[in-house]
Order: sequence, then C-alpha cells, then structure tokens
Amino acid sequence: MHKEWENEDISESKGILYRGELIYYLGALIFGSGIALLFIGTAFVMIFTVHSRSDPEEIMLTTILVASGVALILIGINTMMRQTKYGKYIMIVSSLLSLIAVLSFVVSYYKNYWYYPLISYVIACYVIGFSMLLGNAFANITVWTIRGKSEVATSGRDTGKIYTDEEIERDIEEATRKSMELVASELQFEIGDSDLKNIKVGEAFYESRGMVTRVKDDIDESLILEHAISPGETEKWGSIGLDKASMQLSKALEEPTTEKKRFVDFKERIGKRWRKITSFLRSK
Amino acid sequence: MAKGLDIGTMNIICAEKEGDDIVFMRQRNAFMKLDSSDLTKNMLDTSKVLYIEEDGEISLLGEDAFKFATIFEKDARRPMSQGIISPKEKEAIPIMKLIVENVLGQPRSSHEVLYISTPANPIDSDMDVLYHKKTMEALAKSMKYDTHVIDEGLAVIYSELSDWNFTGLGISVGAGLTNVTLAYLATPLMSFSIARGGDWIDEQVSKSTGLPKEHVTTTKEAGSKLGKEVKFGSADGALTIYYDALMTYVIQNLNRKLAEIAPPKVAFPVAVAGGSALPEGFFEHFKKKLIETKLRVEISKIIRAKDPLNSVARGCLIAAKTQEEKKYSKINIIPKKEVPVKKHKKKWRK
Repeated sequence: MHKEWENEDISESKGILYRGELIYYLGALIFGSGIALLFIGTAFVMIFTVHSRSDPEEIMLTTILVASGVALILIGINTMMRQTKYGKYIMIVSSLLSLIAVLSFVVSYYKNYWYYPLISYVIACYVIGFSMLLGNAFANITVWTIRGKSEVATSGRDTGKIYTDEEIERDIEEATRKSMELVASELQFEIGDSDLKNIKVGEAFYESRGMVTRVKDDIDESLILEHAISPGETEKWGSIGLDKASMQLSKALEEPTTEKKRFVDFKERIGKRWRKITSFLRSK
Repeated sequence: MAKGLDIGTMNIICAEKEGDDIVFMRQRNAFMKLDSSDLTKNMLDTSKVLYIEEDGEISLLGEDAFKFATIFEKDARRPMSQGIISPKEKEAIPIMKLIVENVLGQPRSSHEVLYISTPANPIDSDMDVLYHKKTMEALAKSMKYDTHVIDEGLAVIYSELSDWNFTGLGISVGAGLTNVTLAYLATPLMSFSIARGGDWIDEQVSKSTGLPKEHVTTTKEAGSKLGKEVKFGSADGALTIYYDALMTYVIQNLNRKLAEIAPPKVAFPVAVAGGSALPEGFFEHFKKKLIETKLRVEISKIIRAKDPLNSVARGCLIAAKTQEEKKYSKINIIPKKEVPVKKHKKKWRK
C-alpha cells in the first residue's frame, strides 16, 4: 500500500503533518466537527435514555450523530496526515463508504425498511469504511515513525561538521599559504656579485647614506616590548646549575671551615702537649 | 647595535641608534638611466650625486633620480610597485640591492640584528607578497645581517602604541599599499593590506587634472592641504577627493575584515602612520571618518604617529633591539633585571 514511499527521497520528507496550511485547517475542522457530533450524539443518548423501545426518531437521530461523528473524526485525522497517492484514494473510498452507510441507515430506518439483510449490508459498509480510515491512519503513523527513526539513525552516523564554501576556501588558502612558506623557507638565494661585476659606483655611493635625520630618542619601547613578549622569564640556570649549587651547599654544611679546623688542630696539639707535660711531671 | 629597515615603494628608510639619538637614513626607491660620458660622470661626482655605471649607461639612484626626472620631465623608474618588487622592472633586484646597501651600510658587528618591514597580503588583489618577502630577507642576509621580517602595520604598533601595551590597530598608509594590523599585547591577530596608497592617489589626480604624475607627487609632498577650500585649477581639490576615496575604501575593507575574526572585547587605540598620511588635514579627516563608521571593535583613541614617515623604520628598530636583548641575555645567562620604565616626553625634531 505504501510501497511508493520506499522510492521517495528522504530529504524531501518534512514530517507526517506537513500538508500545507489550508488542508491542515480543513482536517482540523472536520475533526472538530466529528468530535462535536459525537459529543452531541452521546449527550442525546443520555438525555433521551435511548433503548430498544425508544422512539424511532430518537434512535435515528442519536445513531446518525454518533456514526457521522466517529466517521468525521477519522476523516479529519486522515486529512491532517500526509498521504500517498493510494492513501488518498483509500481515504476517499472509506469516507464514501461510511457516508453511504449512514445515509442508507437514514433512508431505510425512516421508510421502515430497517430489516435484515439490509442491516448487515449497511453495518458492513460502515465497518469497512471505519476500518479503512482507522487502518490508513495507523499505517501512516507507523510508516512515518519508522522513517523518522531511520533518518535519525543515518544522521546520527554522520557526525562530521558541515563546512560552508567560505570555510572550505579559507582552509584551502591557509594550507596553500603554509605550503608556499615552507618551500620559500627552504630556498637558498644566491644574490652574488656576478650581476654586479661590471658595475662601477659613483664617488658619492660610499660617502652618503641618503637624507639623514637625527632625533633625540631613548627608544624605551624596546624594554616594554621585551616584557610584553616574555613577561615571565627571569633566569635560566637549568638542572646542572642547581645540582652544583646544592652540592656546594651540602659540602659547606658538612665540613668545618678551614679556620675552624686550624683552631681545633691547635687545641688538640696543645692538649696533647699538656698531657705529655703532666704525665712527665707525675712520673718525676 | 641593531637596525630597522623600512623597504617602501617610495622610500627606503634605515633607523639605527647612535648614543641618545636615533638616526634615520632615507633614500628614494627610484632610478633613472642616462647616457654615460666622462663629462656627465665628472659632473655627477662633483655634485655628489648617487649613481652607478654599467655597460656604458649611467643609472642615477635614489632622490637624485627623482630630482633629475622632474627636471628632464622624464619618468623615474621604480624597482617596486604596489608594495612589492615590480615584475615589470628587470633590473629591480640589482638596483634595490644597491640602494639598500647604500642606506643600510655594513653591519657594525658580526651578525647584527636587522628587522625589515614587509607588507601583508592584499585583500583586494590576487597579488602575493611571499616572493618579495623572501627576496628582501635574502638580500639583507647576503649583507651578513641577522635578518628578521615584520609586518608594516605591526611595526607601527611597536612604534606608537607602547603606552597601550602594544594593543591596538596600526595603519601605515604607504605609497604602494596601505597596511593594517590588529594586535593584542604585541601579538598580531589580523594583518592585511589594501592595494591602494599614495601612488594610486597620484595616478587618479594625474588622470583627472592632466598634470604629470611626478608633479602631483612633488606637490603633495611639498605641503598640500586637504580641505574644503581649494584653489581653482590646482591639484589640491583632486587630492582631497581621492584621499577621501582612499580613506573610505580602507575603512570599509577594515570593517569587512574585522567581521572574519573574533577580537578580544577591549577598546583598541588606532595609530596612523605612513608617508601618504603626511598631508595637512589627513589625520583629522581620517579620524572623523573612522568615528563615523562604527567599526566592529570599540575604538578608545585615534592617534597620529609623531613622525609618520619614519614610524615604520622606528618600529623595526624597536623590534630589532628587543631581539638583540633577548639574543644576548640567552648567551650570557644573566638574570634579567626589572628595569623601571620611565615615561618621559619625547622630543621630536623636524
């Protein structure tokens, strides 16, 4: 029934409800009318307390209202949905069937022809129309739901950024420029004196350097620029300098100084001599 | 010891520090051919004219070429056109080498640091400046300089926007190109050029008024005034009109280019420099136009370079000195001391 949808371009699909404004409003109107008729019919059933022995007019009126209301609801829903070619025909045929069934009921019931097998035909006609409308709506929803999920699935796979023409052009220009600069940086120009061998310069060539202007200027911007370009730099010692300094420090902490050593030695010598003297004296 | 070199379409300017002064050496980027004879050579030597002799032909170089061209009503030939080496001049590179050698002189120390200015790629032309950049770099390196390259617009920022921590827009209105750079804390965010400058104005004025182009250039440089009141039949009126057209064109292109980047949300000062920004009334006119055009970045202040003609060379010298300090501090591994920066009024002599 909906095979032709398989060949439709997904990119053209704009959702199940895309029908254009007028048709959408028409469908909404039909749907609204159907709802209204159904409510009215239901209200009449309750007001008239319709049963098998009620007045024929009451039964006919409430039946017409409820039946046409239900049919209009389904027609309205189908009108609001995007249909295929065959879907449209199904909708038209099913609407006609429902309408014919309701009209047949009106005519036959009014003229007292409401007997079997006419009742079967009328009910069958209405049920077929009703089922087709309901089935068409259900099928539309199902197909659009499946298509929507497959669109999401395919778009989800494609996570690449969509570039505009301008961005592509800029990227190409940037790549070309970098490539050219790389080639240019590898060039080795030979601007030798071969072109200038036959040239003789005038006397003024080495005497003056053009128009000279002398201006008092201490050009302190260079210091500011230095700090602006590299504000954090102070010293560069590296790990070798640091190791050396720490080794020197540890040495300095471990060994006494030369002067201290000398004093200690002197004290020891004095002590030794004193012990010798005292021991000698004791021996004496 | 470091040098800055502004290689422009009209002028080549070298800046170097000598004691407490900066010395600017300026030479016209032009040459003119004359027939060679002993008399001519004697006359030129006596008059201290800058020239070379090759294959029986004399080529006057620099300012003298310009002067002689005006006198003899001939066209001075230009090695550069629209900011880069002229593809139409076969002798462009040898002549430029000679003029640069004359202006730059020999390095004062081994591998003296040199920063040369180069234009950025123009956005309104399919011209590419890479070949010019590399040729100039190679030319300077052949003279045994430790050569580095810097954008003209960035050089203007270094020269004029130190009080704003080198954050802002630097605009250099030259003869061949107008260079624009936007920088934040000395880092360039955007750099481009426009293929219009002083030469374009001279051409348009020459076509409109019928005056020779060199005459227009001389009139402009002699001290023309841009304003609403102009002398009937003079070039001033045409100069005002085409200067206005140039300013509008530059500002519109700047606004267009600013749309492509996402600059930091700070107010940027603008510094305007360049030889073509010298005429009286240019800065006021440009400032007014810039304020009227609401740029995509906030402008805090618009300043005119103290010396528009030498600003780019001065910026190159600043960059060279900074590079030199960095180079020697790495070699000596001396801790950098916090040098207090004293801001005092700079005295500019004309």
